[in-house]
Amino acid sequence: MNALDRALLIAARELAAERRHPDGLVAALTFTGLLVLMESLAFGPGQARQPGNASALFWIAILFAATLVASRSFDRELEDDAIDAVLVLDGGREALYAGKLVAITVVLATVALAAALLSLVLLDLEVALPGHLVLTGALGILALPPVIVLTTLLALRVRARVALVPILSFPILMPQLIACTQGAAAALTGDASAALGWAGITAAFALVYGVLGLTIVPAAIE
Amino acid sequence: MIETTAAPFPTIRVRPWLGRLAIAGSLIATFMALVWAPTDAVQGDVYRIIYVHVPLAWLAYLAFFVVFLASLGWLWTKRAWFDALAVASAEVGVLFTGMFIVAGSIWAKPTWGVWWTWDPRLVTTAVMFMMYVGYLLLRSLSTDFARRATRAAVLGVIAVIDIPIVHLSVLWMNSLHQLPTVLRAGGSPALDASMGMTLGICVIAFTLVYFAFLAERMSIELERQRRMFEARA
Repeated sequence: MNALDRALLIAARELAAERRHPDGLVAALTFTGLLVLMESLAFGPGQARQPGNASALFWIAILFAATLVASRSFDRELEDDAIDAVLVLDGGREALYAGKLVAITVVLATVALAAALLSLVLLDLEVALPGHLVLTGALGILALPPVIVLTTLLALRVRARVALVPILSFPILMPQLIACTQGAAAALTGDASAALGWAGITAAFALVYGVLGLTIVPAAIE
Repeated sequence: MIETTAAPFPTIRVRPWLGRLAIAGSLIATFMALVWAPTDAVQGDVYRIIYVHVPLAWLAYLAFFVVFLASLGWLWTKRAWFDALAVASAEVGVLFTGMFIVAGSIWAKPTWGVWWTWDPRLVTTAVMFMMYVGYLLLRSLSTDFARRATRAAVLGVIAVIDIPIVHLSVLWMNSLHQLPTVLRAGGSPALDASMGMTLGICVIAFTLVYFAFLAERMSIELERQRRMFEARA
C-alpha cells in the first residue's frame, strides 16, 4: 500500500464515521447558519448585503466551522485511542495528516455550500460572476484545512485545546482569509481580474501550507 | 533521543560583556538620536522616534527568525539548547514587537492624527505579535519537555512565513504607512547621510540589547533544563 492509498484509506474511514454519526457536520452546519444569521442581524440588512461585508461574514463563519470540524474529527480519534494505532503504522503520520486533510475538506465543502446558499437567499445577493465565485470559494475551502489540521495536531493533547487551535491558526490564516474575502467580493461585484488575482493568492497559500504540513507533520506528532 | 550534554551557547563567558556593550551602545545611540542627528525639515523633532521604531522592527524580524533557526535546530538534532534559544528569542521578540507597535502608535498620532489605523503594516504586525503570543501560550500549556519543544518548533517554523508578509505588506496593498526606507529593493536607504548613520548606530545598539537579553534569558532556561534533567536522572 503506497502513501496515497494510506491517506485515502484514512479519509474514507473518517468520512464513513462522519456519515454514520454526522455530529461534526451537523454542529458545523448549525453553527455556521447561526453565525451568518447573527452577523447579518447585528450589521443590519443594508450593511450585510454589501459584497465586502457579505463575503467577510461568510468566510469568518467558515473559518470557525473549520476549527469545529477538525476538533470533532480529532476528538473521535482520541476517544478510543484510535490515533495511536494509526501512528504506529509505517507512514502513518503523513497518512493521518493527508487523510484528515481530505476528509475535513470534503466536510467543510458541504458546510460551505449550505452556508453559501443560505447567504445568497437570505441576503438576496446578486452574483455578477458565478464561475469566479465558485472558483474563489473552492480554493478557499482548500486553503483553510492545511493550517487548521496542523494546528489541531499541535494542540492535540494539550490543555485548553479548544481555545488554543483558533489562537494558533487564525493569525496564520489571515492572508488566506483576506484573499478569500476579497476574491468573493470581487466576484460578487463583477471585477474578474481582481477575483482571479485573489484566487491565485489563495491557491498559493493552499499549496505552501499543504506542502509544509506534509513535510513537517511527522515531527509534529508524537 | 534528546541531546542534553551539548555545550550550552557561550552565554557564561560573553554575558557580562554583552551587557556592558549594550549599555555603552545605548548611551551613544541616545546621544546621536537626540542631539547629533539633525531635525527633519517636514516632521520636526517628532521624526526622532524613527531611531527607536525602526531598530525595534528589525529586532522583531531578527528575534523571530532566530526562533525559526532554533526550531529547525531542535527538529533536526534534538539538542535541548536549541529549545532554550527558541524560547528565549521568542520572549524577547514578543517584548520588542509589543514595543514596536507602541512606538509606531506614538509616532502615528502626531503624523497621521490617530493612534491606530487599519493599515496593512499595522495589522500584519499586530497579527505577528499575536502569533508569537500563541507560540508562548502553546509552550506554557504543554508539560512534557520533548513534546513541548517539538510542538513549539513546528509552530516556530510555520510562523516565520509571517515576517516577509509584514515587511512587504506596504508594497502589496494600499497603505498609509511609508514604503520600506532601509531594506528596500530600490538600492541605498532613502535617508540623509547623518540620519542614516544615526539609525545604523541605533540598530547596532538595539541588536546588542537583544543579544544581552537573549543571553540572560537563555542562561535561565538552560539552568531550568539542567535541573529538570538532573531531577529525572
